[in-house]
Parts: sequence; structure tokens; C-alpha cells
Amino acid sequence: MSELTEDRIAAYIASRLPDARDVTVDKLFRISGGASRETYRMWLHYRAADGSRVDRPLIMRRDPPASLIDTERQIEFAAYRAFHGGAVPVPEMLWLEEDVSHLDYPFFIAEEIAGFEAAPGTILTEPYVHHRAAYGERKWTILGEIAKADPQALGLVGVMKPVAADETWRRELDYWEGVIDEDEIEPQPIIRAAIRWLRANPPPPAQKVSVVHGDYRTGNFLYDKEGGIHAILDWEMSHLGDPLEDLAWSINRIWCWAGDDLRGALLPREEAIAIWEASSGLKADPVALHWWELFNCVKGQGIWVSSAKAWTDGETRDPILIVSSWRLLNSQDRAALELMGRL
Amino acid sequence: MKPDPQAVLGYLTQSLLTEVAPKAQPPYLAGTIGMIGTALAVLTEEWDRAASRFVEENRAIRALFRRAETLSLDAALASELRALAGGDDEDLRISALDAGNGVLRRALIRLQTAIETRDDAASKALNDAIWAELVQSTERRKLTGSPF
Repeated sequence: MSELTEDRIAAYIASRLPDARDVTVDKLFRISGGASRETYRMWLHYRAADGSRVDRPLIMRRDPPASLIDTERQIEFAAYRAFHGGAVPVPEMLWLEEDVSHLDYPFFIAEEIAGFEAAPGTILTEPYVHHRAAYGERKWTILGEIAKADPQALGLVGVMKPVAADETWRRELDYWEGVIDEDEIEPQPIIRAAIRWLRANPPPPAQKVSVVHGDYRTGNFLYDKEGGIHAILDWEMSHLGDPLEDLAWSINRIWCWAGDDLRGALLPREEAIAIWEASSGLKADPVALHWWELFNCVKGQGIWVSSAKAWTDGETRDPILIVSSWRLLNSQDRAALELMGRL
Repeated sequence: MKPDPQAVLGYLTQSLLTEVAPKAQPPYLAGTIGMIGTALAVLTEEWDRAASRFVEENRAIRALFRRAETLSLDAALASELRALAGGDDEDLRISALDAGNGVLRRALIRLQTAIETRDDAASKALNDAIWAELVQSTERRKLTGSPF
């Protein structure tokens, strides 16, 4: 394996832009960009066929040796492309490459939407903190747009695994229970009790099968200083399913970053739900939403036990795996207890 | 051990987070150092309380297993619970306490699964006691600054 260099990336891009001349890449450096892929920022320069000069900021996300979330990069790439240019703001995807001969691991390259923030902690600082309600309005409006979108019209039905409206819950619960079965390195009595309850009390069928982002939360969108949101990121867990799954994940207690009751550190739970309902045209049936909220505690715990396992097994030593498992396992248990009326 | 390990860990954590991380370049390295600092902050909190937490929890779970002796249970489960209820925490190293805690919590899952749908008063009372202990266990493990 060779070092990841600007010249290697430029050579790859040149191969994908046969009409371009003098292709170069510079200002390459790694940034923090989620736990499931290595993220790099760079500038691309070339001369187009008409002789004009092109200078473009890019983001590359490359698979690491091990990641927090096992994902299908083709599905993620397709989801970005499907929503690009519509009501759901996303960056433009340029190239997906699964041939490891180019840069050692699969990767994709996208335009960089520069000049905005993503970190959840920053939204609690000046000047962002004064616009939390505006971010919240926009955040749950966009989520409603995702729920409202027609997966068939987006061209995602052939890409994402199909699921019947009355099977969405079982497929997701089976999957995440399987993750916990495989990856837990210490017993999880609270989440095991939650799983038993979820199986004994299934939710009603989904009112529609939608695209589910899969990780829709504060921290996975780009925001400005005035309450605007400019891109929804991290679609690596996107799939077809019950749109309430996304709504429930977005209001999960563990994303109350400010330590208060504001969901996603932005809005009270009921306000977030009302905005989502108005935007999506769907109903958040309280019984069904409760099921999906508790399910998302199982899903969250699946992610946190997997991160503990990946670090323990030495697949990767990224400290984010330590911190996410240490800090969030307990919070996730507390969230489950609250939803089960035990806290 | 002097200086006090908890004070040392706390100082090193603060230094990393407030002095080293803000000056680190490129930004990814600063983020990684920040994560290391956060991990150290958790260790600082756990250093003093971990052994006490494990001993308290292991005792509480064994007490639940002793209460289960009055219930009609599958013979293998009843035998396992009896054996575990008679255990102790003679080895106070964190690794030993942690391993023992794992064994007890796995058995606790099996016990709760066996009784949680029963209607008799004794089973209901034990199930409530298990839930109370699970709540206590999350309180013991709660970390300063957690989102919830």
C-alpha cells in the first residue's frame, strides 16, 4: 500500500476526465468527517476542453480498514445523487470507485460545500446558538421532504433493498439485534429487555415506504451562521423503510447535546414532530413513534457495541470508537429506560 | 501512589484539551487529540469509582438471585443462579470484577426473560426489583457531561 498523495488522486481524476488537461490536486489534508469513512479535503485544478481554467474544492471519503458502521457505499452514492438538485440539499457526487488499485481502498469524491459548520458542539456557541429554533425548523422540514419523496421516482427502488410496509420493523430489528449478537463484548440487559418488548408489541405497518436517511441528526448537516442548513450528509445507512424510523432517530435523547430536553440541541420533541408532520404530510402516530424511538435505542446500542468491538479487536484504533462507546452506551441505556417508563 | 493518579489524569486531560489540541495542525489531528482527551476524561472519572461500582452492582445482582430461589424456575437456570448467588468479589482487581460482573449480568438477562411475563406476585415483585437494579446500574455508570 502506498501513501495517499495529491499526485495519486490527480492521476485518478485525470483518468475520469479524458478531455481535461493539466490535472493537478493540492491542499490535500484529512479532516474529521464521521466515523465510518476517512474524509479528505482537497482542491482540483485542470484546463477544460474549451481551454477554460477549472478550480474546484472537493471532498473524498475513503473506506478505512474498519469503520463504526458497515455500509454499502453504492447505496450511499446513489442516495446523494437521487436527492441532488431537489428539496433536500446534498453535495454533488462526482465519482465512486470500488477498484482498490487506485487508492488502496474504495472511495468516492464529491464537491465540497465550503464555508459551513457541521460539528454538533459548535451549534451551541456564538453566533449559532441564537438560531437553534431556525435550524430546527429547517432540519425537520428537510426530514419531512425526505419522508415525502417517492423512492420509485428517485430511482432508488432498484438500488435499495425493497421492503413491505408491514415488514419494515421486523427487518430493522432483526438486523440490529444481529449486530448486537455478533459484536457485544459485555452483556446489555436493558437493551435485551427492550428487544423482547419490541418483538412482543410490533408497530402498525408503515403509512408509506420511504427513503430512510438512517443517521439523521445534528452533526450530519452543514449549517451557516444564520439558521440555514445547506447540505444533509452521511447517507451511509440509508435504506427503504418506515419514515418514522428517521423521525425517531432524530429526536433520540442521546442527541440532546446541550444536556437539556431540546432534541438535537434545537427544539422540544413535540415541536420537531409537528414540523415534520407539516412538511411530510404524514402522521406521527404516537404508538408507532414510541416503538420506533425504542427501536432506535437498540440501533444506537448496536452502533456503540460495534465500535467497542472494532477497537478491542484492533481493526482500527481511532479514538472516536473508544469515546463513542464509553460515552454513549450509558446514555443509550438511559434513553431506553425512559421510553420504557422505568427512569 | 503519589501524586494522586486521578489528579494526574485530570491535569493531563485538561492540558491536552485546552493547550495541545487547539494548536494542533492539521485539523484532523486536533480532532484526534480532542478525542484522546475526552477518553482520558472518562478514565479520570472511572479511576476512583470503578471498583466500588462493580462491587456494589455485583452484590445487588447476587441478592436478586437469592430472591429467585423461592420461584419455580428451569432446573439449569435455578442451579446457575444458586451458584452465582453464593459467589463473592475476593479478587478486587478491576479486570476480575468486570469479568464477574459480565457473568452476573448475562445470568440476570436469563432470569428476567424467564419471569417477566409471569402473573404471580412474587415474579412481578422480582421483575420490578430487577428493573430497579438496572436503573441503579445506569446511574452508577453515568458520566459527567453525557448528553443524557
